Amino acid sequence: MASRFWTQGGSDSEEESSDYEDDVENEGVETTTQTAGSRYLQANASDSDDSDGQKRVVRSAKDKRFEEMAATVDQMKNAMKINDWVSLQESFDKINKQLDKVMRVTEAEKVPTLYIKALVMLEDFLNQAMANKEAKKKMSSSNAKALNSMKQKLKKNNKQYEDLINKYRENPESEEVKDEDEESEEEEEDEDEEFEEDPDNIRAGSGSDNDDDDDGEEAEDTNDSGWVRQTGRRDKSIDKQFKNPSEITWENVNKKFKEVVAARGRKGTGRFEQVEQLTFLMKVAKTPAQKLEILFSLISAQFDVNPGLSGHMPINVWKKCVVNMLIVLDILTQYPNIVVNDMVEPDENETQKAADYNGTIRVWGNLVAFVERIDVEFFKSLQSIDPHTREYVERLRDEPMFLVLAQDVQEYLEQAGEFKAASKVALRRVELIYYKPQEVYDAMRKLAEQTDEGDDGEKAIEEESRGPSAFISVPELVPRKPTFPENSRTMMDMLVSLIYKYGDERTKARAMLCDIYHHALLDEFSTARDLLLMSHLQDNVQQMDVLSQILFNRAMAQLGLCAFRVGLVAEGHSCLSELYSGGKVKELLAQGISQSRYHEKTPEQERLERRRQMPYHMHINLELLEAVHLICAMLLEVPNMAANTHGAKSKVISKTFRRLLEVSERQTFTGPPENVRDHVMAATRALTKGDFQKAFDVINSLDVWRLLRNRESVLEMLKAKIKEEALRTYLFTFTSSYDSLSLDQLTKMFDLSEVQTHSIVSKMMINEELHASWDQPTHCIIFHDVEHSRLQALAFQLTEKLSILAESNERAMESRTGGGLDLSLRRRDQDYAAGTGAMGGKWQDNLSYNQGRQGRSGFTGGGGRSLALGQAGGYSRGQLRGSGGYSGRAAAARGSQMDGSNRMVSLNKGVRV
Amino acid sequence: MATYDLTQRIAPNLDRHLVFPLLEFLQERQMYPDEQILKSKIELLNKTNMVDYAMDIHKSLYHTEDVPQDMVERRVEVVARLKALEERAAPIVSFLQNPNSFQDLRANDQHYNLQMLHDRYQIEALYQYAKFQFECGNYSGAADYLYQYRALCTNSERRLSALWGKMAAEILMQNWDIALEELNQLKEKVDDPKSFTSPLNQMQSRIWLMHWSLFIFFNHDNGRTLIIDLFNQDKYLNAIQTNAPHLLRYLATAFIVNKRRRPQFKDFIKVIQQEQNSYKDPITEFLACVYVNYDFDGAQKKMKECEEVILNDPFLGKRVEDSNFATVPLRDEFLENARLFIFETYCRIHQRIDMAVLAEKLNLNYEEAQRWIVNLIRNSKLDAKIDAKSGTVIMEPTHPNVYEQLIDHTKGLSGRTYKLVGQLLEHAQTQAAR
Repeated sequence: MASRFWTQGGSDSEEESSDYEDDVENEGVETTTQTAGSRYLQANASDSDDSDGQKRVVRSAKDKRFEEMAATVDQMKNAMKINDWVSLQESFDKINKQLDKVMRVTEAEKVPTLYIKALVMLEDFLNQAMANKEAKKKMSSSNAKALNSMKQKLKKNNKQYEDLINKYRENPESEEVKDEDEESEEEEEDEDEEFEEDPDNIRAGSGSDNDDDDDGEEAEDTNDSGWVRQTGRRDKSIDKQFKNPSEITWENVNKKFKEVVAARGRKGTGRFEQVEQLTFLMKVAKTPAQKLEILFSLISAQFDVNPGLSGHMPINVWKKCVVNMLIVLDILTQYPNIVVNDMVEPDENETQKAADYNGTIRVWGNLVAFVERIDVEFFKSLQSIDPHTREYVERLRDEPMFLVLAQDVQEYLEQAGEFKAASKVALRRVELIYYKPQEVYDAMRKLAEQTDEGDDGEKAIEEESRGPSAFISVPELVPRKPTFPENSRTMMDMLVSLIYKYGDERTKARAMLCDIYHHALLDEFSTARDLLLMSHLQDNVQQMDVLSQILFNRAMAQLGLCAFRVGLVAEGHSCLSELYSGGKVKELLAQGISQSRYHEKTPEQERLERRRQMPYHMHINLELLEAVHLICAMLLEVPNMAANTHGAKSKVISKTFRRLLEVSERQTFTGPPENVRDHVMAATRALTKGDFQKAFDVINSLDVWRLLRNRESVLEMLKAKIKEEALRTYLFTFTSSYDSLSLDQLTKMFDLSEVQTHSIVSKMMINEELHASWDQPTHCIIFHDVEHSRLQALAFQLTEKLSILAESNERAMESRTGGGLDLSLRRRDQDYAAGTGAMGGKWQDNLSYNQGRQGRSGFTGGGGRSLALGQAGGYSRGQLRGSGGYSGRAAAARGSQMDGSNRMVSLNKGVRV
Repeated sequence: MATYDLTQRIAPNLDRHLVFPLLEFLQERQMYPDEQILKSKIELLNKTNMVDYAMDIHKSLYHTEDVPQDMVERRVEVVARLKALEERAAPIVSFLQNPNSFQDLRANDQHYNLQMLHDRYQIEALYQYAKFQFECGNYSGAADYLYQYRALCTNSERRLSALWGKMAAEILMQNWDIALEELNQLKEKVDDPKSFTSPLNQMQSRIWLMHWSLFIFFNHDNGRTLIIDLFNQDKYLNAIQTNAPHLLRYLATAFIVNKRRRPQFKDFIKVIQQEQNSYKDPITEFLACVYVNYDFDGAQKKMKECEEVILNDPFLGKRVEDSNFATVPLRDEFLENARLFIFETYCRIHQRIDMAVLAEKLNLNYEEAQRWIVNLIRNSKLDAKIDAKSGTVIMEPTHPNVYEQLIDHTKGLSGRTYKLVGQLLEHAQTQAAR
């Protein structure tokens, strides 16, 4: 490897290209530094290297190229003979590729005559073929097709070489005498050439360095260092070519540009070098349109710097990319007649039109795609940087930079009337903002104001220090500083309403989710809930892509937290229980990967999963989430369990909670609580006994509460809730021990106000959870003894069994006759209630409660009228409420038949009755 | 006093002309300074053609005799335009008034008839004329013309707006029966999914319809039942919840006044609970107190506030002049029923109640309370006894008899078995027949 650089060390190219190479080295990319190192090594290398065998291969490259080309020409000739246009077309493509290589090898401006000759030959043959209409008709369809496309290609191609072709046609012999000879001779010549080559090789092998060296090392399929070297030299050539500013014309810039672009993605093209070349070209561009075109390619090239999906773009490249985008916008703002579009293929020479050209100039490009890509890269970099390092924080600081860009692009697009595209950009902005509470938002705003000034200065200096000044200088027209409204909500509203108006389905759905998340973050539970219910996102979230599903889960989690903060325990629980039912919270929220014992993931899956991870700063604290979920479950489940101690059929509110409780009860010794679960379990044990103070103390000792903004009020609320549930639990558990109980005593026991206690107990009476009534003059609860005697209980059991028997008979009949008993389905509910015996009225009431609940959870299901979000199109935010409608009410009627449980999350509206 | 005034929220959903009665009412109740109301009246009138009226108001507002120039000019303009429209509409009007003209119509060729009417008499002019009449405040004329127009017109959109116009005119003329008919027609149109392109438009129309219907329902004899029928429909309730939660007040009042609506009432309580954060006033809060929080003291306080609200509401506080003595019938009814609501719930959870406390809770004195309860017991609405010695009411426990329960449970079984056997036999027969 080292030897290949031998020549380089000696060549004068080094100095000239060093500017650029240094730049590249500064990028800190390994390959470059490596080569640099090896070059030094070479410079000092002794002559003994010369005899290295590799050189022989290397040296023959130039001739090899020619040889290859000649072979292709032969192939073409053969194809012509049999009139095979398909293979001719292939050969033509091949020869064009080879030409590129040859040009690179010879470093000549002039195209080899061999090539021109082939072109002329081809053209003649083509004309002949076109003229011969009959033959054309006889051709097979694929052949004819190939002929036609060949015709077009050739026409296009020959334009480039028009002069040469004409010259050749005028005087073929002067170029190459043998040209007009027959093929056999041609072949001979080729052989000759081949023959001649050998001595050359031998000579090289013998170790004498001659002037051919430079070309020699251009072996195409060499490894990395090979291309680094090669392009470095090309820089030199560019530089040479454009050394004199006055000589620069649109044509040669364009030509060079085409050349560089054509090299993109090829095996031997250096990604960094391409960036460098394009940067240079961008500076020497003659017209704004050309500059723009080059800029677009430059940005694409910058994206190319990092291959593969897993890694992220180097940060400094990313920054440059953003700057370039801003320049693009500058140009576009200054020259409003330039239109960027990716739909039409513009003319070859569209960019030649100068700045003062009057009509519209079309340039190919897609701003939105660029912005999105930049955002993706930003996201990826945050994903892969370790969040506990300073680097991560530094990286986060770049966010305002992107926000500026997005803002500017959005504004530009809005001005251009491309609202659909603008809404896409707006979504990107929304996605950067939605998870930020007001404090973080303020901090970002401040940061943006501060850092930007510093950045500007830096940029200016950087700009000056760069090589030749640009021909087309554009003043900084678009603002380089983001403007943020005071309030994050205002900003969200602004962006989101734009999206609702113009966005497509997915954009709208995502914006809606972000909107919900943000509302929930600001403790506006009812607004967030209404948005969620009315957008009917729950119904079709299953059909969305994974990323949107994650966003949905995040929104649900945040909504649950929000419900808890405002004191809506039941709602909070229903939001969160779904997340915790599978034990895969981390995956659902994309906040880490949990190991599963039972099935291994394939590497592919793992990679995919890693790619979706949320960056650390966007995480929802899992401990807090778990605490909230378990506490909600506790508050609902403990009185529920107390109320149904002896019914096997008691309904379970939270399976997760029950399971945890079982586990903790099985323990022989319970130590002091350590994690969130232990705390909640300890609190549960206290609560079952009605000891609210202890329960609260245990929960209060959790340190996740410090994450809450309004910690005091939340804990206050929590205490009140715990008291209430403790009272309920106490009453359920100890009813049988009392005949009467005074209100005063209860009030004191649970440290509640008299009104509260009265209200709670009354509620229980009305719902017939508690068989008791007030004795108003004495302020006592009188418990009614409604326990059944043994005989009665048995009788109820008997009736229950009877009804089960009847039902199973019906079912058997049904299966035999194939349905027909429509009635039974509807009746079953009632009969069942009647049949469950033992608790008679109590159960029945439970059931009706159940129905009510289900009905309301049907609310989320939204009956038959699933108004998709799309139908909300064109609604402004205020009106959006109207789009969905509360179709849930329709469902309420059918509630008893509807199964709300298979929904992603069943959200109960309204307070528990 | 004005905190619970809904005029500002209702007015945007009404026709200009329909806002007048509301303003009149406000003026009468002295809720806002007179000047303010007069000013808003003028503003209202500026967009209508009732220039004379506006002039009068202007005079009384500024206590002057001269009117601004633009009003005078406008008057001239209006009169001229009225003339022009009248002329244009003259042929069709005379055509319609002349019974002989029916001879021109061909009995079996509807298409021809329409074409002829359109060409010769210009139905369109009739519509414009009617609209202008309405704008000028000549509601009866407008109503007549619109009625005729509707019979002749083929354009469905125009028909719809004619329908709205007719209803407004009838409301303003206080022909409640006819207005109710119009309302029902309009409701059919509004519920027809074909007549609207977007659900949003449809919802908006529903909201308008509900607002306009308030005039009818609270004046028509049967209105209080009808309002529940209309508002409590799912589609309409959705509309209320989404865009006009203030209408809950009227629905709540109707529910309270109407005793026979229990099943729907429970659902409605849930709605009120849901909408607590988007709308509340004493009436909905009263319901929440009684049925959600069981806070009877709170309910009692709210009841007093409710009275205020009812008196100051243009729809609810309608006065009936009885010789020289004005009453608000709805208020009395409301209070009576609200009291009943409280008492009912209260009794459900109590075994023994002190009469004095009860009297206080019901906003009655002791004697009245006793009479009231005795009446209830006598009408067998209440299963209780009064213990006069200790001054308490004692509720009879209402636990279902165990044996009754058992019988209930098994009652259905035999029927089911019979049915099963019947089906089995039927099945067997069909099988045998095959």
